[in-house]
Amino acid sequence: MTLSRQTWTGVACALAGVAAVAAISRRRRTERLLHIETSRAFNRSSALLACSVLTDSAMEHYRGAFSNVAMYVPPAVATCSLLAGFHGGADRTPATHTVRHAIYWGATLTGLAGTGFHLYNVMKRPGGWSWQNLFYAAPLGAPTALLLSGALGAAAERLRNQPAHEPRLLGMPAGKALGLLSGIGLAGTAIEAALLHFRGSFQHKAMYAPVSVPPAASALLLHASLTRPQPRWLARVVLQLTWLVGWIGTALHVRGVARHHGGWRNWSQNLFNGPPVPAPPSFSALALAGLAALRLREGERR
Amino acid sequence: MNPYTSRYPGYDVLNKRDTPSWDAITRKVIAQRMATPSEPGFLDVVRWRALEALCARIVPQPADRPQVPLAGMVDMRLQKNAGDGFRYARLPPLREAWLIGLNALDEESKARHELPFASLEHAAQNTLLTQMQHGELSSSHWKGMDATLFFSQRVLPDICGAYYSHPYAWNEIGFGGPANPRGYVRMYYDRRDPWEAVEAKPGKERQAMEKNRRVR
Amino acid sequence: MSADAQDEPRGKHGRAPDVLRVGGWVPMREYLQNDEVDFAIVGTGAGGATLACRLAEKGFKVVAFDAGAWWRPLEEFASDESHQKKLFWTDERLCDGEDPVKLGNNNSGKAVGGSMVHFAMVSLRFRPEWFKARSLLGYGVDWPLDWREMWHYYGIIEDALKISGPVNYPWGPDRGRYPYRAHELNAAALVLARGAEALGIAWTPTPLATVSAPRGLAHPCAYRGFCVSGCSTNAKQSTLNVWIPRALQAGAEIRDLAMVGRVVVNDAGRCTGVEYFREGRWQFQRARNVVVAGYAIETPRLLLLSATSRFPDGLANSSGLVGKNFMVQSNQAAWGVMDQEIRSYKGPPSLAITEHWNYHDKKDFFGGYSYMSQGPLPVVWALTEGRRGLWGDALLKDMQHYNHYVGLKMVGETMPQERNCITLADEKDDYGLPIARVTHSNCDNDRRLIQHALDFMETALAAGGAKDIWRETDDTCHLNGTARMGSDPHTSVVNADCRSWDIPNLWICDGSVFPTVGGVNPSLTIQAIAYRTADRIEALASRGEL
Repeated sequence: MTLSRQTWTGVACALAGVAAVAAISRRRRTERLLHIETSRAFNRSSALLACSVLTDSAMEHYRGAFSNVAMYVPPAVATCSLLAGFHGGADRTPATHTVRHAIYWGATLTGLAGTGFHLYNVMKRPGGWSWQNLFYAAPLGAPTALLLSGALGAAAERLRNQPAHEPRLLGMPAGKALGLLSGIGLAGTAIEAALLHFRGSFQHKAMYAPVSVPPAASALLLHASLTRPQPRWLARVVLQLTWLVGWIGTALHVRGVARHHGGWRNWSQNLFNGPPVPAPPSFSALALAGLAALRLREGERR
Repeated sequence: MNPYTSRYPGYDVLNKRDTPSWDAITRKVIAQRMATPSEPGFLDVVRWRALEALCARIVPQPADRPQVPLAGMVDMRLQKNAGDGFRYARLPPLREAWLIGLNALDEESKARHELPFASLEHAAQNTLLTQMQHGELSSSHWKGMDATLFFSQRVLPDICGAYYSHPYAWNEIGFGGPANPRGYVRMYYDRRDPWEAVEAKPGKERQAMEKNRRVR
Repeated sequence: MSADAQDEPRGKHGRAPDVLRVGGWVPMREYLQNDEVDFAIVGTGAGGATLACRLAEKGFKVVAFDAGAWWRPLEEFASDESHQKKLFWTDERLCDGEDPVKLGNNNSGKAVGGSMVHFAMVSLRFRPEWFKARSLLGYGVDWPLDWREMWHYYGIIEDALKISGPVNYPWGPDRGRYPYRAHELNAAALVLARGAEALGIAWTPTPLATVSAPRGLAHPCAYRGFCVSGCSTNAKQSTLNVWIPRALQAGAEIRDLAMVGRVVVNDAGRCTGVEYFREGRWQFQRARNVVVAGYAIETPRLLLLSATSRFPDGLANSSGLVGKNFMVQSNQAAWGVMDQEIRSYKGPPSLAITEHWNYHDKKDFFGGYSYMSQGPLPVVWALTEGRRGLWGDALLKDMQHYNHYVGLKMVGETMPQERNCITLADEKDDYGLPIARVTHSNCDNDRRLIQHALDFMETALAAGGAKDIWRETDDTCHLNGTARMGSDPHTSVVNADCRSWDIPNLWICDGSVFPTVGGVNPSLTIQAIAYRTADRIEALASRGEL
C-alpha cells in the first residue's frame, strides 16, 4: 500500500523535528554530563560502601548480641544509605535530592557516633588503648566506613547543585575536593585492613595487597588532587587495580572462611571467626569514587 | 525447693549431636558411655549394692530425669582396671582399694546399725560417710588402708569424675559440651553463642526452657 | 576403619602418619636394628622430638622411640576428658613423701609427641637471672648456660612454633615480636586483667603455642577449650605436628608403641644401644649414642633400670644424683564466683598471665611464681571441688555456679632438695619392669612462696570482682631436676651439652636436666636446650669429639 505525499511529508517533518531536538539536548546533556556522572558515581560508590557496612555491622553486632540498643542503628542507617545510593545512581537530576541528602547526613552522623561508641568500647577494657583491644574490641575503622558512605553521598548531592562549568565543593574545585575525600577514604580503609592483617600476622602473602595497592592509589589520587590538573594514567591504573583488589580480596576471604576448622559447614562459627567477607568490597567502592573524582579532576583548570 | 534445680532448664547437649559441635569419634565415645549397663561386671552383688548406695549419696541425682549409671561406670572402670597412672603409696591399687573399702563400709554400717550400708536411711548413710571423710573410721576391716585417703583419693574422684563425664551432668551445669569442629565465637562475659545453654534468670525459667529447647 | 593407635604401631612399613591430613601418610626412612644408627633417642617429647629433628636435619641417622601411641588429632581426639585420658601415662607409679604429687594430666603424657600433645601451650622464657640462681639470687645452683645464648634459642623455638603472643612483653630483656598475634581474651582472662590493673601490676595475654591465624595445613584455634585433652584442630603447635614431621622429612625414624626398658652398656663403659619392647617382644637397636628423653620420672627410672655390675647404682650416676632433686612446680589456685556468666572453658585455659612475682625480689622467700587465668572442664572441675571436700547436695549446688566460676592458678618455683627423688619400687609393671616411686615433700621456702601466692591471688581475684573466694591448696604441675646439668661431675649428672659425665655417648635431653625450675612452664626451655644440644653435638662431631 503506498502512502500519500502528505503523509510522507508529515513523517519527514516529524523525523527532522526529532533530530533537531535530539541535537540540541545532546549538546546540553554533554555539557551537564560530567559532574552529574561524577555525582552518580559517588552515589553508587556510597551504595557499595553502605552494602559492605550493612552486612558487616549486622554480623558484628549480632556477634555482640545487640547488647546495646544503639547497635541496631548502623544496619538500619546503612540500609537507607544503600537505597539512597541506588536511587541516586540512576538519577540524572542536576539538583540535590533532599531526602537522599538527609539520609547521607544521617549516615555521616551515625558513623561519627559509632566511632565514639567503639572508642569507648576499646578504652573501657583492661589495657585501654592497646594492640590487644585494637584487635579484639569494637573495630575503630568500621563506623568510619559508614561515615565515608555518608560523606561520599553527601558530596554527590552537593555536586548536583553546582554549575556544569567549574563546579566547586568546600571552597575548592569539585574534582580536587572529591579526590581528597576519596583519597583519604582509601588511606583510612587501608589502615583498617593493615591493622586486621597485622592481627592475622600476614600469614598469607596476598594479605600485603590491601596495604600496598590502595595506599599507592591514595597517594597518587591525593597528588593528582593537590597539583595542577592533567591526565593521570598511573593513578587511573592503580585505582583500577584497587578496584580489583577489593573483589579478589572478597574471594580470598571466602576461601579464608573455608580454611578455618570445619570449613563452610561450620559457618555459624567461621563466618565470625574467619576473615570478614563483607569488608574488602569497601576498597572497590572507594576505587570507583576515586576514578570518578580523577576524571573530573583531570578536566579542571586549576 | 530442690536446692540444685538446674539453672539451665530444657538444655540438652545431646541435641547437638548432629551439629558441627560433635564429630564422629565423640558421638561414638559418648554413646558407649551412655550405654554403660547398670549392673556389676566386676563387683560381687553385695559390694555392688554398697556401691550403688554410696554413689547415690555422693551424687544425689534428681529423680525427675534419666539417671546417670554411676555405679555401672565405676564398676566398668574396675573391670578394665583403668588406673590414673599413679597412686598414693599408702593406698592399695585401684581394685583392691575398692574391694576393701566397700566391704569395710558395710562392716562399719553393720557395727553401728546392724544393717549393711545400702539398707540405712539417707541421713545415717551421710553421717557414716562424713565419719569416713574425717578419719573416724578405722576398724580392722579397712585392712590397714586409711579410710580418709580412700574417701578423698578414690571415692570422691572416681564417683564425681564419672558423674561429670556424662552428658546429663553437663546439661545440669550448662556446659557447652563437645566442641569439634565448632568451638566458640563469643569469648566475652555475659555472651553466649547460639549453641550454648541459656541460663534461667530468676523468674524467667519458662523463657529459658523454651530457648534451650531450640539450642543447637 | 584403621586399627586403634594403641593396638598396632603406625610407624612401620616405610611410612608414618601425616597428622596434618585426615588419614594421611608420609614416607619414613627406616633403619635396621643391626644398623648402628648415630643416635637412639628414648622419648619423643619436648626434648626428644626437638633433638631428633635437629640431629636428622644435620644429617645424623636418628631413631627415636616412644612408649606411647601415634595419634591422629583430626580424627582421633574426641571432645571428651575421660576418653582422652588415653594421652596420659596411665601405668602405675607410687607417690609418697609429705606432699605426694598427683600425676596424670598435669605432667605425664604417653604418646608420640610426649606431654606436648596435652600441654596447655604456655610458652614462656626463663628470667635471665635464674640461670645464675645461686650467684645472683642466692638460692639453688647456677646453670652452666648463659642467658644470652638461651635467648637466642628461645627466639628460634618461638618462631618454629609460631607462638601467638603480645606485641610487647612486659618483663625481661627485649625479645622481639612474637611471630603470631595473641589470642582474644576470654572472660576469665579479663578478670585476671582487671584484678592486676586494680592492684597496679602488669599483666599480658599469654604467649601460647596455638596459632591465631592459619599456618600451612594447621587451622587457627577454634576456641573449643579441650586443649589439655588434645587439640583436634592442629592449632596447637607441638612436637606432634611441628618437630616430628620435620624430623621425618629429614630422615629420622620414629618407633611408636616401643617401650625402652634398658640402655645397654658394654664392658668399656659405653652405650651400645637400647632394648625395647614392641609388637610383643623385646628387641635391640644398635646405636653410637643414646639419648634419654623420657621426662623427669621415666628418665631416671630408665637409668636406674639399666644398672650393671659396673654401674650398680644405675647409669651416669657417679654423683649419686640420678633421680634426686626432683622438682615440681606449685600449682595452687584461688577460685571465686562472678555475677556475670564467665564460661571459662571457652578457649585455651590460660589466656592471660602475670609474671610480676617472677621479676620482683622484695619477698621473704626465694624463687618466683607466675599465675594465669583458667578454664577447667567439668571433670577436672568436679575433682577440684572434691579436693575441697564437697560431695552430695553441697557439691551439686556449688556445681550450678560452674559457668560463673573464675580462678587464678600459679606456676610456682620449688627448691631443689635431694630428698625429693625418683627411685625404683618393688612392684612391677606390665613389661615386668620395676615401677617408679615418686617421693616429694615441700620445704619451708616452698610453703612460704605458696602462702604468698595464695594471699596475692585471692586479693587479685577479689579486685577482679569475684566473690565467695576459696583456695585450692594442693596441686602441682610439671616435673624436673632428676638428672641435672652442671659444671662439676660431683654435683651434676650431665654437662651443659646434656652429655653425661660418666658415659661419653650417653646424653639426657628433657626436663630432668634443669638444676632449678623457675616460675614459668618448662616446655619452651626444654626445647631450647634440645635445639642447642643438637648444635653442640654437631660442633663436637666436627671436632671428632663425639
